[in-house]
Amino acid sequence: MPRRFTIYSAGSELELRIAHLYAHFLNIYGDRGNIIALSQRARWRQMEVKVDAIDLGQDIDPDYYDFYFVGGGQDKQQIVIAEDLRKKEKQIKEAIGNGAVILSVCGGYQLLGHYYKPHEGPELKGISLVDAYTVAGNRRMIGNVLVKRDDATTLVGFENHSGKTFLGKGVNALGKAIVGNGNNGEDKLEGLAQGTVYGTYLHGSLLPKNPAFADQLLSQALARRYGAQHLQPLDDHFENQAHKRAMTLPA
Amino acid sequence: MTEVPKGGLTASDKAAVLVAQLAAKTIRKLGLGLGSNLPGRIARKLSPSVLSHLSSQSAKGVVAVTGTNGKSTTSGILSEILRTAGFTFAHNRQGANLVTGITASLVESATWQSGISADMCLFEIDEAALPVVAREVKIGTVLVTNLFRDQLDRFGELDTTAKLISAGISVNHSVAILNCDDPNVRQLVSDETRFFYCIDDAADATDAAHAKNQELAYCGKCGAEVAFRKVFYGQLGHWYCPSCGNVRPAPQIVARDVEVFPTSSRFKLQIGATEESCVLPLPGLFNVYNALAAAACAHYLGVSNQAIRYGLKEYSTLFGRSEKLTIDGKSVIVQLIKNPAGATQAVSSCVKDNRGRLLIAINDNLADGRDVSWLWDADFEQLAVSPRVKLTVSGQRAEDMAVRMKYAGYPQDKIVCQPKLEQALNQCLSEMEEGETLWLMPTYTCLLELQKMLKSMGVAMSCT
Repeated sequence: MPRRFTIYSAGSELELRIAHLYAHFLNIYGDRGNIIALSQRARWRQMEVKVDAIDLGQDIDPDYYDFYFVGGGQDKQQIVIAEDLRKKEKQIKEAIGNGAVILSVCGGYQLLGHYYKPHEGPELKGISLVDAYTVAGNRRMIGNVLVKRDDATTLVGFENHSGKTFLGKGVNALGKAIVGNGNNGEDKLEGLAQGTVYGTYLHGSLLPKNPAFADQLLSQALARRYGAQHLQPLDDHFENQAHKRAMTLPA
Repeated sequence: MTEVPKGGLTASDKAAVLVAQLAAKTIRKLGLGLGSNLPGRIARKLSPSVLSHLSSQSAKGVVAVTGTNGKSTTSGILSEILRTAGFTFAHNRQGANLVTGITASLVESATWQSGISADMCLFEIDEAALPVVAREVKIGTVLVTNLFRDQLDRFGELDTTAKLISAGISVNHSVAILNCDDPNVRQLVSDETRFFYCIDDAADATDAAHAKNQELAYCGKCGAEVAFRKVFYGQLGHWYCPSCGNVRPAPQIVARDVEVFPTSSRFKLQIGATEESCVLPLPGLFNVYNALAAAACAHYLGVSNQAIRYGLKEYSTLFGRSEKLTIDGKSVIVQLIKNPAGATQAVSSCVKDNRGRLLIAINDNLADGRDVSWLWDADFEQLAVSPRVKLTVSGQRAEDMAVRMKYAGYPQDKIVCQPKLEQALNQCLSEMEEGETLWLMPTYTCLLELQKMLKSMGVAMSCT
């Protein structure tokens, strides 16, 4: 990759450590794009990036990683993941307690809450990292989503889920769904943003065409070991065009 | 409805054939389209039994081709082989593969007095439409190409698609001809008659440890994740279940020593104790699988090895599937892309051509898949290894594709983002130099647009 961005001295010694949970399992809906986007945005700022795939049955060193990602899978995979995630519950909670960032999408998001209740069969227990729960819905919510955040910035993506997620009292949503369904199609909220824990139903992939949000996560992840960081701006004209284009799409 | 003798048509069937044929002619005459669906709708309205009655007239029965990728190419190759072997058949070659399109194609090849005189019916059928069609048509043979995670936004999930196909096969207890390299296909039917084909060995194969873009798959018996000794692409390969010992079943038809070149492929086709050296005028392992599927089905239908080999060699590509064209003396290859596995394969053919230019066009209409997430699951990184020339991205989601290529590591200043497809195409053509080839990789509705543009330039794609 040719380095085409000017170097600010501060960036060059930084290193970003990413844990991609169940990379091997939850690899549909282009969630890999989130890891690619975060890594590239760090590399373009001369940071070292290390991405580890964390598999089933593998322990996590809660001190090591700055950023965790868990994506979505199909029903069959969810059951296996839920079971394994509970074994990692302590480590993940410790990591988040130490300031690491976690981004969860769709199925991964559901499992960070208390439980997922399917139509039939036993409840899938989550790790209760956040105060939220999910119940199986009767229709699949599929389509483009436009989210407006509290700071008036927007997020764009594509949702594809039947689970309906409800947040506990006082839990911050990522934003309001202006187009599309979001968490449950009822309260118009989408996702969850609580400290360094993020959950969302947006695929698309999410981070590549929401560069400002990607950078927010990046600087939060770096803050754990390096304190507050000023990220040098990148030339985001393609990303911004894609964002703008997606804002015009119907649900 | 009055009882009719076996193989005969009712009065309303006859009326349906007449009126639908008239409608098809009118639609084409007025330039309103291909007439590949509406006449079917009309015919079904006039006689709901028309599809059932007409299809039952074919002496050698009905063959259905389904699966997520390669339906059109596979049924195209199969039709070439069947023609070579001297069969007559009705075929929905325009690719309208839902129940109305299938009805329309069948009605067109019928006469109102006596119906169908063809030996057999060859239907390419959409995965979701298979059980619907199977309830009306006694399908003797179902050929399944593969089951990739395609169109997730349409059906929700892959398991849904597998269930639809299984249901479609079991309605008539059809013989299933299955790709046993695909663990998703292998598990489709458990106790019906099955016939398997596979690739034994290919120059492009990777051992499981080095497989990139390998897709997950599960054991049909115990549900555990399957492991691979060899991966061809996606989840296609030599799999086994480490948990219950389930293995890839023994195939009846095998392709070995597979070699793929930028515009063609070569392999040895083993049928029982005999072996045929085959040439296929199509690139990519995915097309070898399509050819193999067609060959397996033809063999099952009693076609000779010679006719199979000849049919493969003579196949000329279907609309937008690795189609080679010449525009103003410039060489152009069109390869439809619609999901990660197909796009990765298309790109890997393209990077083998060191004088290739590339135009990728992405739309997000229903027929393309409205979710463009899949772009991030395809291996476009291969293109960034040697970013020789300008790369043009186009279509309604040109910007998404530009971002994808930028993050794949393609230099930003070499990416041209031109959402207007006609302008993108003209620009690419005008910049081409002697001896270069332009690779066009459109999604489905971009392909339809390209077809129109090329037509106005005097270049006909197939099925136009």
